[in-house]
Amino acid sequence: MPAILGASARIGVIAPGASPLCFPALESPAMDAAVFDRVAEIFAETGSIPREKITPEAHVIEDLGIDSLDFLDIVFALDKEFGIKIPVESWMQKVDKGEAKAEDFFVMKSLVARIGDLVAAKTPG
Amino acid sequence: MRLEYFDMVDRVVELFRAEGRLVAESRVPEASPVFEGHFPGHPLMPGVLLIETMAQTSGFLLLALQDFAAMPFLVQVKTAKLRSFVAPGAALSISARLVHDGSGFAVTQAAIRAGETAVADAELVFRCLPFPAPELAAQMRARAARLGLPEAA
Repeated sequence: MPAILGASARIGVIAPGASPLCFPALESPAMDAAVFDRVAEIFAETGSIPREKITPEAHVIEDLGIDSLDFLDIVFALDKEFGIKIPVESWMQKVDKGEAKAEDFFVMKSLVARIGDLVAAKTPG
Repeated sequence: MRLEYFDMVDRVVELFRAEGRLVAESRVPEASPVFEGHFPGHPLMPGVLLIETMAQTSGFLLLALQDFAAMPFLVQVKTAKLRSFVAPGAALSISARLVHDGSGFAVTQAAIRAGETAVADAELVFRCLPFPAPELAAQMRARAARLGLPEAA
């Protein structure tokens, strides 16, 4: 099934073995605690993950064990919740090209900060 | 509709691009080997093929909206309801509406009616990937053109 193979391949892309601590985010935007709490709730509800596992340092794949289909569901829920379109494809392309580390996007604190940026960008002022 | 070839849509009736909606139609064949097993003496269109019909209609919608830039692969069927039996020869109207245009995925709401009767509906999720083979891209475009989708021309 091409879709499943494609999806599996993509999981490999966003799950390299480096520690999140080795690669700080490209930028270091502040992580809004309220946004983090809501994102964590969505991860817990949609991915059936114990809430206590979802820490700012948690890697979406390595620590939370989310597969590509569950992650797609979570992104859908996040898009709806915040009225944004999380550019997952663009992020993966940057990781593929070596322009960024997976941890720049797929560690919870980085993801939450980027969601905060996307929300801010859609609201002028 | 040719069940054995998974050729589920006969014609695109209209694409409402601004609304993100497509309407298609199809007629269930009077005879098919599928009906020999489903069910002997009581032929019915299989529910999974009704879901496939909604998926293909959604697929043509997504192909049109994305200008054939990516191939939609069905990855999730949510809340599918099979509301009425469908017998051989039934004329079906299928609609698909874009619910969410995500990054590398899309969500649609699709439904099938037979006249005034609600037949089936489902929320479907697709992963939209670059065409894995140029032949597939050409075939999808040709098939969409045959069905009357002007965007495929």
